[in-house]
Amino acid sequence: MDCEKFDRVVLDLLYQELDELTTASAKRHTEHCTRCRGIWSELRATREVGALPLVDPPEGLELKILEAERQARKGLPARQRVGRVISLLAGYAMRPQLAMAALLLLLIGSSLVILRGRPGERDSVMVTEQGLPGSEAESLTVPLPERTPLAVDAKREEDSETRAEAKAKGAPAAASAAAASAAEEPEADKDEDAEYAAGVALYDQGRYVEARRALDSVATRGGARAAEAALYAARATQQTQGCAAAVIQFEQVSARFRNTRSGLEANWQAADCYKTMGETEQARRSYEALFSTEYDERARNALARLDDESSATATAARRAKAAAPVAAPAAPAGEASKVPAASKSPPAKAMKPQRDSAF
Amino acid sequence: MATGQGDATDEMLMVRYQRGDRQAFAELVRRHQRPVYNFVLRQLRQPSVAEDVTQECFLRLVENAAEFKHEARFATWLYTIARNLCIDNLRKAAHRRHPSLDEPSRPGGERSLGESIADTHPKASAERAAVSSQMMSSIVSALDSLPEEQREVFLLREVGNLPFKDIADVTGVPENTVKSRMRYALDRLKTALCEFEEYARALR
Repeated sequence: MDCEKFDRVVLDLLYQELDELTTASAKRHTEHCTRCRGIWSELRATREVGALPLVDPPEGLELKILEAERQARKGLPARQRVGRVISLLAGYAMRPQLAMAALLLLLIGSSLVILRGRPGERDSVMVTEQGLPGSEAESLTVPLPERTPLAVDAKREEDSETRAEAKAKGAPAAASAAAASAAEEPEADKDEDAEYAAGVALYDQGRYVEARRALDSVATRGGARAAEAALYAARATQQTQGCAAAVIQFEQVSARFRNTRSGLEANWQAADCYKTMGETEQARRSYEALFSTEYDERARNALARLDDESSATATAARRAKAAAPVAAPAAPAGEASKVPAASKSPPAKAMKPQRDSAF
Repeated sequence: MATGQGDATDEMLMVRYQRGDRQAFAELVRRHQRPVYNFVLRQLRQPSVAEDVTQECFLRLVENAAEFKHEARFATWLYTIARNLCIDNLRKAAHRRHPSLDEPSRPGGERSLGESIADTHPKASAERAAVSSQMMSSIVSALDSLPEEQREVFLLREVGNLPFKDIADVTGVPENTVKSRMRYALDRLKTALCEFEEYARALR
């Protein structure tokens, strides 16, 4: 290292921002160069003696800040909620798996469009009108019968019979009431209940991707069925992509329809997902959010189970550790769950910036 | 498994707070209130104003929590907010006269910064405390006499403990400029310390 380079790196050296190699090189340079040695020792002494002592903040400042935070959150609940959802989405959007999943969905989606345009029979077609001449049936856009989700199961059997009947009569399947097309064809979207029921039917048939598309469409429009549709859509995601992807959706449904039965159910499902994923803290928070609602008892029981399981895990871990030849003395039982955190807890110095010692 | 709050980085805590974990925010306040308060205090010089500005700084953080990106550095974001609040405050106070550091205590009122610092060595002997207090006053005077842009760089490095690269982000100037400002600040400080025996001893 020469003097010019030393001048460029001397401050990094003083604040220990240099890599080991350059540090060693700079150090060697000061051993041979009087000029640079002088500069270095002056800077080092200045920093050592001229250290600024930190003044303690006024007592109660921390409490004031936390209180101000509480008030601010109360004043901006919607914004906070949106922020929370955005951050959750952003967190998951960073994952490469999501990009792969999106690509897969895009491929499936585009192939569905191609398939739908092809004439001929498809097993997704449900015909709900009967007894019409073949020529009329061809031109029909068949409205799905009004039915509640509870009636869906009963209707499904009827539908399959109808389908068989329609086949037998040779009625073309082009009279489509398929739920997949219901999501894509605006003219068939008028009856929200019907579309919702079709989405649920698809879900029951295990055709989750199509079900999710249909139900998302209902949820997005925000009608009377939006909450239930959003919940079913999230379940469909869980079926296809698992908890990691579905938990964001459950959180969204829970936040958007907070005071509805579906919102509570979504909250419950989110908690279960967190639990499955091993995110104990998040699961705990989700269960706690259900206290004082109609899920109160369930949530409390689930939380108790969660605590039991965590302490059982900790005990098992401790036993395993004790069984090892170089095992450390076991911690008291009550402290079991705290052991890992406590052993890594930071020293008080973390609260103030540390002054690096110069060499 | 989730790590405890104490082990988590600032950025992890901020992401947890975005997801609704208020304990994470409390931990961030515990970690940063002291340096932020000192950074603001040395810029604005009045403890009561510094207290308000520190509180405001964390409040801004709450209000803009949703905008924090987890790839960003938390300290850089926090000190950018603190710096902007200081600049606003200094602009507003531009027409008012600041109380000098050497100004004696007002009866029952706030103490000057020099006095606060002198109190930080209560256990030293009287003579040593007098020298130490004198040296602290010299350090603070030297800091006070620095141009604003040099002082803020010095404080961000020494009090905020930010690396030079992050200081460049906070202040919006190139890293080389940051380093030359820091060098000027240290030279000024060195001149103020030259007369003290401690400095001569440290030179060795």
